[in-house]
Amino acid sequence: MEALLYLITTILKIVVIVLPILLCVAYLTYAERKIIGYMQVRIGPNRVGPRGWLQPIADTVKMMFKEIIIPTNANRLLFVIAPMLLIGPALAAWAVIPFNAGVVLADINAGLLYILAMTSLSVYGILIAGWASNSKYALLSTLRSAAQIISYELPMGFALVGVLMAAGSLNLGEIILAQEGGILHWYWLPLFPLFVIYFLSGVAETNRAPFDLAEGESEIVAGFHVEYSGMLFAIFFLAEYANMILISALAAIMFLGGWLSPFQGSFLEPVFAWVPGFFWLVAKMSIFLFLYLWFRATFPRYRYDQLMRLGWKVFIPITLVWIVVLGIAILAKLPPWFA
Amino acid sequence: MLANYFPIFVFIIIGLMMGIVLPTIGYFLGKREPDPEKNSPYECGFEAFEDAHMKFDVRYYLIAILFIIFDLEIAFLFPWAVVFKDIGMFGFVAMMIFLAILVIGFIYEWKKGALEWE
Amino acid sequence: MITFTFYLVALILIFAAISVITVKNPIHAALFLVLAFFSSAAIWLLLQAEFLAITLVLVYVGAVMVLFLFVLMMLDINVAPLREGFVRHFPIAVFVGGVIFVEMIFVLGAWHQAVPPETMTNVPNIELLGEVLYTQYVYPFEIAAVILLVAMIAAMALTMRPHTRAKYQKPEQQVNVRREDCVRLVKMQAETKD
Repeated sequence: MEALLYLITTILKIVVIVLPILLCVAYLTYAERKIIGYMQVRIGPNRVGPRGWLQPIADTVKMMFKEIIIPTNANRLLFVIAPMLLIGPALAAWAVIPFNAGVVLADINAGLLYILAMTSLSVYGILIAGWASNSKYALLSTLRSAAQIISYELPMGFALVGVLMAAGSLNLGEIILAQEGGILHWYWLPLFPLFVIYFLSGVAETNRAPFDLAEGESEIVAGFHVEYSGMLFAIFFLAEYANMILISALAAIMFLGGWLSPFQGSFLEPVFAWVPGFFWLVAKMSIFLFLYLWFRATFPRYRYDQLMRLGWKVFIPITLVWIVVLGIAILAKLPPWFA
Repeated sequence: MLANYFPIFVFIIIGLMMGIVLPTIGYFLGKREPDPEKNSPYECGFEAFEDAHMKFDVRYYLIAILFIIFDLEIAFLFPWAVVFKDIGMFGFVAMMIFLAILVIGFIYEWKKGALEWE
Repeated sequence: MITFTFYLVALILIFAAISVITVKNPIHAALFLVLAFFSSAAIWLLLQAEFLAITLVLVYVGAVMVLFLFVLMMLDINVAPLREGFVRHFPIAVFVGGVIFVEMIFVLGAWHQAVPPETMTNVPNIELLGEVLYTQYVYPFEIAAVILLVAMIAAMALTMRPHTRAKYQKPEQQVNVRREDCVRLVKMQAETKD
């Protein structure tokens, strides 16, 4: 009986985490269309509801009523399983994200390692989707994006090692607490190259512009999900945006102090003491999400050789060098971060 | 410790369930009017005349193999980074030798052109 | 509860492992192998080895199996020829299987004499591991680096071909192009149309 009660409360907690994420995804698509619209001197969606506020809802409803097409030559089982393999890890990674002091679903010691393992699984959904579709375009895109994702996972992993060295713990809550003391104590400053590389690798991992070669509308017509339609396609969409939000949350937690107030230790601290930590986390995440959209509105797409060169020949050497620099700084107990 | 992993297990199950529930909704709400043209794989202007699976450049496998090696390296770096402040200078030197050996390999592949794409 | 979970996961593991060698489609076999890795990770987790369990997923599922799938998907494997050499290879397979079986017996035989590991510590086992791996076992650790180096070089030796007619773009040359190199202005009289 007690076990059942525990199971039900756990499921309720998970629903409380998942539903806002889904809502965020819906309104992130709205924000994307609006923001990019204004950047390109357009208005963006403005017909459904006041100022287009109901557009994401309308899109969802439309998606539900669309036919799910499974191509004749496709491997039907894998075709249906692929989106599942993509959305599962994308959501499950949220289990270890701390939303406020002590507010975390699973407070495990190996939190960061778990995150890395979950993000490394996203490549399966793409590989299987592309192969099961049995379409030339899907397969080409799969190959491209799988190679891209695994290439950028390396700088990402090395950047995480830097964070670990500084914090000395794999637990995300402890990583945040190690950054206490205001905006200058956060790790974005001593780990600046890793910070930039982590976020850019995150953009590449989620296949977003300017690294969206897997999509390549003009050459491979949307890539690995070209054969998908209706709700199956919606899941790919959902997973992509959920991953964007996840990367933003992780960047905020590891480099911008998560739910810590930026005014800690300054005279403004009591003024902002009433602001809940959750608000700071969301504000920091919004910065990264805005950057995602800004990139998409600004940069032209990379060419494949440039993409690979950036990952292997720029990001990996920089992270390796910075790990050594960081090691020396920590051994020298460089204040204020490592004292 | 195991108690902490139970919610994660439930979360993974629920995440996968999302991938089942949503298409099921779409399956029942959406139309079903199959048609040979609609169900054929996307092609540009002609009918798909062969199986789409084809052989690819060996370069992609090389990337995948190098990825495994570097991923292992990261797996070795993780415990080291966690205890770095405790094991101090000795641990630092040990890891620097480890990294130096692997950087030799990295330089080799760089010079050999394994990272070049044309 | 833990015993029940163990038997459940072990059953899944055995089922997945048998499926790997019995299903016809190689892609399905690879995916069953992924399931097998997940189940073993769960069993390690039951033994409180959280670092090893997650690393198993990270390295084997996240990296090694991706390579497997890459190769299987892109090699365009035909299923029928794979089954041809069964009789011819059977004796070798029996021999290898026998050797592995004997080895397993030795390992499992020695297992009973081993001291059961102490699991009731509050220190995360990644820290315990880190404290011995880079100090006490530093020598094997460096040897691991050398093995990885060998693997790296071997992979390149096996897959690299000499670039023959590859045409590269050289950005530095493109940037340094001056007008004088490309365009020549010629003075000439205006010509009339006759």
